[in-house]
Amino acid sequence: MNTPEFYRRRQKAIVFLGLMLFALILFFIQIWLFVMTLENMLAGRTAMAVPGAIASLALFATNLWMLRGVQRLMKIN
Amino acid sequence: MNERLQEEFPIEWEDDHFVTRREFFRFLTLASGGLALGTVAVAAYSKIPKGQRSFDPALICKVADLKPGTSLHFSFPRPSDLCLLICRKDGKYVAYSRRCTHLSCPVQYEVGDHVERLYCPCHNGAFSVDDGRVLQGPPPHPIPQLMLEQRGDEIWATGIKVGEEA
Repeated sequence: MNTPEFYRRRQKAIVFLGLMLFALILFFIQIWLFVMTLENMLAGRTAMAVPGAIASLALFATNLWMLRGVQRLMKIN
Repeated sequence: MNERLQEEFPIEWEDDHFVTRREFFRFLTLASGGLALGTVAVAAYSKIPKGQRSFDPALICKVADLKPGTSLHFSFPRPSDLCLLICRKDGKYVAYSRRCTHLSCPVQYEVGDHVERLYCPCHNGAFSVDDGRVLQGPPPHPIPQLMLEQRGDEIWATGIKVGEEA
């Protein structure tokens, strides 16, 4: 029953869950960045617009990188 | 047991679709991309120079109607857009919106020996007559300045300079 394959799958599932939770946290940070940029733009303050956009793009790149890592992880037997 | 469960809770399992963790992760990444795109769009829009907006010129008054250190109320471009034409102490003409950028109270032209400013009595806000910037109080933005043109002995309003960030 407890074959090496069993432990490998369990480990993969835990790693996957961890990555997904981290991606979710980054997603919420992106929501906050979007709302902050929009609010500041409407108030006429544009100083943080470009840094906010850069940060959001960096978070998206991180999410994309993690997705590719997950897909690679799933392919490994 | 399963047969009885399916009898009492008939769910069409073939039509049901569970979202797998992989699909959820993909969707999360897609939503993340959408948010990044939205933030970039907002940042790009905020960097577009707003400049000024022109309207049909409107005659305000004649030059002789205002003495230095006095002001005149008028509406431009719509009747509900209250404005203030000021003949400054040095004789120059400037015009601003009368609505305070805090809570839209009408501002007054305050002039004295050592003071010349736009004053909002509601919350003790004040703006400069040079460029409309905030001098004191809670207003978050400079007060919008109007574009004026002198045609002979007449003063005309031609547009509004869109406000810059405070």
